[in-house]
Formats: sequence, C-alpha cells, structure tokens
Amino acid sequence: MTGRLTARLAASRWIGAVLLAGVVGFALLGPWLIAADPHRQNLGNILAPIGGGDLLGTDQLGRSMLARLAAASRLSLALALAAVAGAAATGVLLGLLAANGGRLVERGLSLLADAVMALPSVLLVLLFASLGPGQFVFIYLGLASYQWVEYFRVTRVVASAELRRPHVEAARLNGFSRLYVARRFLLPVLAPVLGTLMVFNLATSIFTISALSVIGIGLRPPIAEWGTMTIELLPYYDEAPLHALLPTAMVAATVLALHLLAGRGAR
Amino acid sequence: MRRGGLRVERLAVRGAAGPILHDVSFAVEPGGTFILLGESGSGKSLVLHALMGTLPPGLQATGRAFWGETELLALPPRQRRQLWGREIGLLPQEPWLALDPSMRAVEQVAEVHRFQHGARPAAARRLARLGLAAFGLGGHGGHYPHQLSGGMCQRVALATARAGQAGLFLADEPTKGLDAARVDEVALGLQAAAADGQTSVVVTHDLALAARLGGEAAVLLEGRLLERGPVAQLVSTPSHDYTRALVGALPVNWPDRAPPPPPGPAVMAGRGLAKSFGGRRLFDGLDLGIAAGQIVAVTGPSGCGKSTLGNMLLGLARPDRGEVRRQPGIAAHRFQKLYQDPPSSFAPHLAVGRGFADLARLHGTAFSAVPPILARLGLAETLLQRPPGQLSGGELQRLSLARSLLLRPVFLFADEPSSRLDPLAQRTVMQLLAELAAEEDLAVLLVTHDEAIAAKMASIRLRL
Repeated sequence: MTGRLTARLAASRWIGAVLLAGVVGFALLGPWLIAADPHRQNLGNILAPIGGGDLLGTDQLGRSMLARLAAASRLSLALALAAVAGAAATGVLLGLLAANGGRLVERGLSLLADAVMALPSVLLVLLFASLGPGQFVFIYLGLASYQWVEYFRVTRVVASAELRRPHVEAARLNGFSRLYVARRFLLPVLAPVLGTLMVFNLATSIFTISALSVIGIGLRPPIAEWGTMTIELLPYYDEAPLHALLPTAMVAATVLALHLLAGRGAR
Repeated sequence: MRRGGLRVERLAVRGAAGPILHDVSFAVEPGGTFILLGESGSGKSLVLHALMGTLPPGLQATGRAFWGETELLALPPRQRRQLWGREIGLLPQEPWLALDPSMRAVEQVAEVHRFQHGARPAAARRLARLGLAAFGLGGHGGHYPHQLSGGMCQRVALATARAGQAGLFLADEPTKGLDAARVDEVALGLQAAAADGQTSVVVTHDLALAARLGGEAAVLLEGRLLERGPVAQLVSTPSHDYTRALVGALPVNWPDRAPPPPPGPAVMAGRGLAKSFGGRRLFDGLDLGIAAGQIVAVTGPSGCGKSTLGNMLLGLARPDRGEVRRQPGIAAHRFQKLYQDPPSSFAPHLAVGRGFADLARLHGTAFSAVPPILARLGLAETLLQRPPGQLSGGELQRLSLARSLLLRPVFLFADEPSSRLDPLAQRTVMQLLAELAAEEDLAVLLVTHDEAIAAKMASIRLRL
C-alpha cells in the first residue's frame, strides 16, 4: 500500500520533471534553433494559423509565435529565477543573522519581516513597479521585496533550534568556526526545506510576472513575455483563439511542472 | 479491585527476523511484586506489551499468561481492551509522551474515575485531586503537562494509572532519567500500589530500585531469562555472571579510587560566583578550584544550578557576579565538555568518524592519533563509520570522551555523563573517566545527581 503510494508520488514528480525540462529546453535552445526574430513584423502574414509555414502561426503583427514564446520562456524563467535567488539569499542571510545575533537583532529583523507580511504582497509589487513601469529591475525588486520573508522565517526558526543543540555547542568547544557549523550542521537540515520553498516560489514568481503584464503594470509590449503576449492577442480571440491561449498554456504548464516537482512527495 | 495472581508460562515473542523473546515463565502471587531486570534491548518491555496486548505490528506472542483464571493471550483483542484500565493498568515508558498535552493534570486523572468507574464529574475531580495529592502534586492539578517537570509528569501518569484501581499493574522503566529525589517519590508510589493489594510487574534496569521494592525478580538478557529469585537473594548471591556484573555495576560496589596526588595549581577556578534564575538564587559567593588530576563532584537536586555552574566555568553561561579564571597559556579547545545525552552531542546525519576527521584536520593532528585513543577506551574502529543513531549510549559517551581526548584536554566538565546509560555502561564510562583523570592529569568537574557515584569518584565534593 505504502509502496504503491510512493510509486504514484514518484510518478507525479517524474511528470513534473519532464514537463519542466521541456519548458527549460524550449527556453534555452529555442532562440538558438529558431531562425525567426521574435520582433520582426510581417504585416502581410498576420494571425497565420497554427501548423502552417510558421509552426505555431504568427501574431497580430505577423511575428513568429514560436520565436516569441521561446523568448518569453527565457525571459520569465530568468526573471523568476533571479527574484527567487535574490529573495532566498537575503532571507537566509538575515535569518542566520537573527538566529546568531543578539536579542535586539532578532527582534528588529522579525519586526521588519512582520511589517512586510502585514502589507498585501500585490501592494509591494505595485509600489516597485510604479517606480519604473516596464523595467526589469523594478519587477525583480518588487518580487524579492516580500518573498525573502518566508526564507527568513524558516531559516531563523530552524537555525535557532539547531544552534542550541548540544552537538553544535560541542563543535564550538572543539574549536570549529561558525562557518563550519553552518556548512556541516545547518545546511543539511535547511537545504531540503529551502529547496522545496524555492521551487514553489519560482512558480508564484512566474505567475506574478505574467499577471502583472496582463494588468498593464509589468513588462510592456513589444517585449515578448507570456503576459504581454496574452494581452496583445486577446482582442483577436474570435479570429485566433488558440493564439491567445498559447502563452497562458505555457504559464500553466510551467507552474504545474514546478508544483508536481516539489509537491507532497518532495521528502 | 479484583485481586489475583499472574502466571506466565513459556511466553515467547517472535518478529519477522526470528524470535526476540524466548520461553519466559514466572509467577506473581496476588498482591506481590515482580521485577524484570535487564539492559535496554533485552526484551523486558516486550513482556509487558505481550501481557497488555500492545505488541507492535509484526510481532507475535506465544505461550500462556493467566491473570487469575483468565488466559490473557487467548482473549480476542476486543475483550482484552475491555480489561485495560479496569483490570490491567500500564505505566508507559516516558510518561510525558503518554499524557494528553492539551489537558490539565487533574482532568487526566478525573477522566479515569468518570469513565472507568462512572463517578459524577464533581466527585471525579475530587477523587482526582486526592489522588494527585497522594503523590505530592496537590498544587499542580491545574497545570498542563508542559508546565510540569519530567518527574512530575511521571507522577501524574502514576496517579492516572492508580486511579483505574486495576488489580494488575505493569510499570515500564518508571524511574528512567529521574534524579534521586524523584526516584524516591516514584518508588513510594509503587510501594503504595503494592500495599493496596495490587499485583505489580515492574520493568527496570535500576537494581537499587528493585532492592527497595523487594519481591521476586528475574534477570533478562538478550530475550532469555537468566535467573529468577527473591530480589535480596539476587543482589547478595547472584549465580549468573551477568547478574554478578549487574550487581557489581551498582555505584556502592565500585572499587575505591587510589587517592589522588596532592593538588597543584588550579587549572580552572571560579571566585565569588553567583547566579539567579527566574528570581530564584541558585548560588552566591561560590569559590571553586580544580587542579590537574583532580575530580570535583557537584551534586544536588535537579534545577539547583549544578550544570549551570559547569557551563559558567566553560564560558557557556555568564555568572551574575564573580569571575572564572583559567590557567593562562592554554588553548581554549583544551577545555572540554561531556554531555548528559550522548546521542545529542553528535550531529545526527554525520558518520561519527567524519567529525573525528574534521577535528583532526582542524587542529593539524594526524588521523593516526585516533585509533590508539579508541583502543584505550575499548572501542572498535569500525564504529566510526556509523551515524550516532546506530550506536548505543555507552558507545557514544566513550566516543565523546575520545573526541575530547584527541584535543589533549586539561579540563573536562562531565555533565551527568552516565544518567542515561545502563548500569554496566555507566560503570565503564565512569571508570574510564577516573582513570583518564589520573593518566592524563585531567581536571574534571563531575556533575551528578547520584550521591553514591560522587562518593566513589570525587576527591572533593560540593553540594548545591
């Protein structure tokens, strides 16, 4: 019974991994394999159907859908990865600082984290996005500005419990440095938790990036991004419904892949 | 309460890997006490679970066990459950895990009166308060388990088990990890049960407790009953080698240490040390000096600050007043500590040898220094390949000693180093500690709750 259950969970993780590998492969190899320029317009060949001369057709300005989707995949994944990496690095560092430092440091940092959590995350993203509409760096800052809190909390709780354990005290008495303690004792305990958290966060970031574009405060056309593509193609839904759905399908597939990968069977 | 005798005939337990318990037979008269002695892993808890009908899945009991006229092993599970609490009471190991964390102490006891005996809520609470008061917990009825110490939880569980008025009372390691004063209280509780006419079976590795409770006893080793007889006789004239070793492991029977050489200058000294905790003064104006080769033993009840004193000397805790002075010119890592719970002093996911290798590299010592130390402590080198979860408490405590010895220590703070160990392992660890103090000119601060150990080990004693 248990064996069958783990087999099923493992299978769902496999599906997730294959799906994600597909998206990542498309993002990495696409722009290199596809000759078409994602920004080159051809007004004589707009909304070409799927399966014609252009494999996935063309959009309302005659640009290759395949090339644009590949460019968009690369952009979304890179931006989300950067945001998650930034948030994780900040959160883990501050969490370690809070667990290691004095009472005052811990109080101060926890207060800051609580303050950030008290704000709706959308508000923070909107705030940063409005500083520089359509600029990558502000979207990145907006995402990282609230995502670090989760890493901070997990790290602080796990690390402060772990650092109080006798084997850590014994190691310090034996002359080992804080760095050794962090690497040998903390990392193996933290890594699986943080890993799962990062994968889920990646999914949230990808979703948020495209959602921001759709509501017009994220990236702007003509940048090829899943959200901008959706919003550009939506007016032509009646003529080319599949075209409008393709970018959304990419978002859905990526988010699903990440959730399957980090889902219940993660540990 | 139904009175009756217990007769166990050829009880055996087998698991998937083969038999674990062989041919255990014993009998307890109505109102008598029977004690099962043995180290952890000897199968003594399995006897209780087989009687109760709570063996882990995959284990099967064979043989017969008569409680009065009832054959317990032949009863279907449903009917056996009917007996729980009413006829057979169990005091489980680590009772703080058996109590409901979301229920006040008095409610846990009252529940038994209410649902087992059908008392009205008010009457049940009154009886429960009386029961708690009998175990010296009169003022703690309103507390939740997490607000009580381990010893108090033990007594709440005991009061709960006693409230059931079961004729047969089974106690699994009732004094494990408790300090001397708490052991006293639990022993009194068990004696009260016997005085009430309850038939009891007590599983323990504490020979001193067995001697106090009296009655019949049997010694179990690796799932076999070695010998059986009145406790007094087992202790005075043990016939089996293992029983002899067990008796020899009682601290009062340890050989006396050779008198230490006249003390030189103090390696570690504290002057005018004071510490309060939660508004309570633990000690004040305490002066203490430990010279090379000397063992200073600190005793006192739990919560008296004896571990805090050691931590203070090592710089792990800060005194409110006073100062700690180490002999100058000695590297910090040569002041070492031995922990109460041996498994917790090793990283759980790391093979022990990994830590040793890291340690040797850190201090520029060749790894070849490790094997002679292990040999001196009677440890096989292959143990290094295992993670701490696969080593016994005694082995881990000796490995912990080895880890300290690798750093050529001058001072060792041994914080209750044997309180979680079986008697034989305790004796081994303590003997090694005494020998090393003499051989390595090691200054030792030994914190213990056992006066007998302190008397045997220490050249200077300090009571807090």
